[in-house]
Amino acid sequence: MTSQDTGRGVLVYDPRGVVEAEATPLAERVAGLDGLRLAVLDNSKWNAGKLLRRVSGQLSDEIRFAEVNHYCKESFSKNAAPALIDEIVADNDVVLTAIGD
Amino acid sequence: MTEAATVDAFAGRNDGVMELPDGADAVEWYFEQGLTDGLPVVPPTPESVAAMVTALGGEPDLVECRVPPRWGSLSRQVLAINMVMAGCKPDYAPVVRAAMLALCTPAFNLNGVQATTHMAAPLLVVNGPIRARIGMNAGCNVFGSGNRANATIGRAIRLVLLNVGGAWPDDLDKSALGHPGKYTYCIAENEEASPFAPYHVEKGFGPEDSSVFVIAAEGPHSVTNHVANDARGVLDSIVSAMATFAHNNAVSSGHCAVVLGLEHAATIAGDGWTRHDIRSYLWSNAWNRFGDIAFDHRYGKVYNRNLPRWYRRDPDSRIPIVPDPDHIHLFVAGGDAGRFSAFIPGWGHMTSPVLRGIDGAAPQSGPVCVDGTCYL
Repeated sequence: MTSQDTGRGVLVYDPRGVVEAEATPLAERVAGLDGLRLAVLDNSKWNAGKLLRRVSGQLSDEIRFAEVNHYCKESFSKNAAPALIDEIVADNDVVLTAIGD
Repeated sequence: MTEAATVDAFAGRNDGVMELPDGADAVEWYFEQGLTDGLPVVPPTPESVAAMVTALGGEPDLVECRVPPRWGSLSRQVLAINMVMAGCKPDYAPVVRAAMLALCTPAFNLNGVQATTHMAAPLLVVNGPIRARIGMNAGCNVFGSGNRANATIGRAIRLVLLNVGGAWPDDLDKSALGHPGKYTYCIAENEEASPFAPYHVEKGFGPEDSSVFVIAAEGPHSVTNHVANDARGVLDSIVSAMATFAHNNAVSSGHCAVVLGLEHAATIAGDGWTRHDIRSYLWSNAWNRFGDIAFDHRYGKVYNRNLPRWYRRDPDSRIPIVPDPDHIHLFVAGGDAGRFSAFIPGWGHMTSPVLRGIDGAAPQSGPVCVDGTCYL
C-alpha cells in the first residue's frame, strides 16, 4: 500500500528546487543624456554590431554625448567578463546593448 | 501555446509537499501546474521518492548542482522527484546524477544551451558495464522508442531542465524550433558489436569503467550508403552530410558527433582503419568554402566572429566543419542490419561536450592507447 491509496488524499511534490538569489535593483534612470558617456556593448551576435552602429549613430545625431565608447563581449552566449563590466562601469554613465540575432 | 508553471501551489510551504483532496487526479494536477514535459508523469509517492534518494546516495538535502537559467537548486530529493516523475527505476540513478553534474559543468554552458534560439538539446551517450546492468538499448532503433532506461533517463534530464532549470518554452527556453530530443535524447554505445575501442576508452577510461558523455546537439541526420565496400566510400557519405553550411557547426564551429551503424563500422574496420583514422579523414575532407558561408558577401561583408581567428577567410579558403579531429566524437551504435550512420551537429563554439565517469570512475593517467596507437 502506498500513500496514493490510503484514503487520506494524494500527496504531490514540488519538482522545481529552491532558487537562492538576492534581488538586484535596477539602476536609477538618468534625467537626460546630453553630456553623458555612452558605452555601446556589442554582444558579438551576427547582426549586433550592425544594429548598434546604426542606433548609436542616430542617437549621436540628437544627443551630444561626452564620449561614445565601444566594447565587445567575447561570446554572445556567456556573461561578459568581470573585467569588461568593471571597465564599462568605470568609464561610462549609460550603456546601450542589443542582441542582434 | 506552451505550458509554463503559472500557479505556485507550493507558495509558502517549506517542505515542497502538499496533499490534494481525496479522489483528486495527481496526473492531471501536475499538468494543471505546468510541471510536466507535456506527457503524463508518474506521481511520486513517499516510498518511491525515498527509494530514489537512497539510490542517489541518501542525504536528500544535499545540493548536487544549480541548474540554469533559473538556477534552481538540484537537491537529491528534487532529483529523485523528477526521476520518479519520468518513470525511472532507482537503478538508473548513477547515470542521471552523473549526467546532471556533467551538464552543470561550466564548460558545457548549460545556461546558453537552455536559452538559445537554436534547437540544441543535450544528447547523452552512456558507455561501460552500467549499460547492460540497467538494460539500456545500444542496438536496433537506438535513437528511437521502446527502451525504458534510454527513454526515462533522457526524460528525467529534460524534466530537471524544465522544472529546476526553468527552461519552459517561450519563457526561458527561446528555441525557435526545438527538436524531438527535447523529450528524451539518450543512447548507449554498442561496445559489444563495435570493431573499435569504446568511446570512453579512447578518452582514457578503462573498459571496466562506466561514463556518460553529454553534448549540446541538433537531431541525428541519417547517412545512407548501400554501395561502398570500403572505408573511404562509406566515410565520403558522412563527409557529404557534414559539408553543408546549414547546420550550426558550419558557421559556429565547436564539436559534433558521428554515430557509425554496425554495417558501416564493419566495412571501415575491414580496411584496417582506426578511430583516429576515421576522425581525421572526416575532418580533413568535410569543409565549406568561406565564400559559401559568407554568401560571397552579397548581403554585406562577412567576417564571421564565430569561427576561429586563425582560419583564412579568402573566398576559396577551406573552412573545416570543426577545428580539429578531436572535435568529432565518434560512436558505434545501432542494429545488425542496415547500412546507415548518423551525423549529429553540435551547437557551436559556445559549448564544450563533457565526459564524466559514473560512480567515481576517472580517466587513467599516462598516454591514451587506442586500437594500438598511443596519444601523448
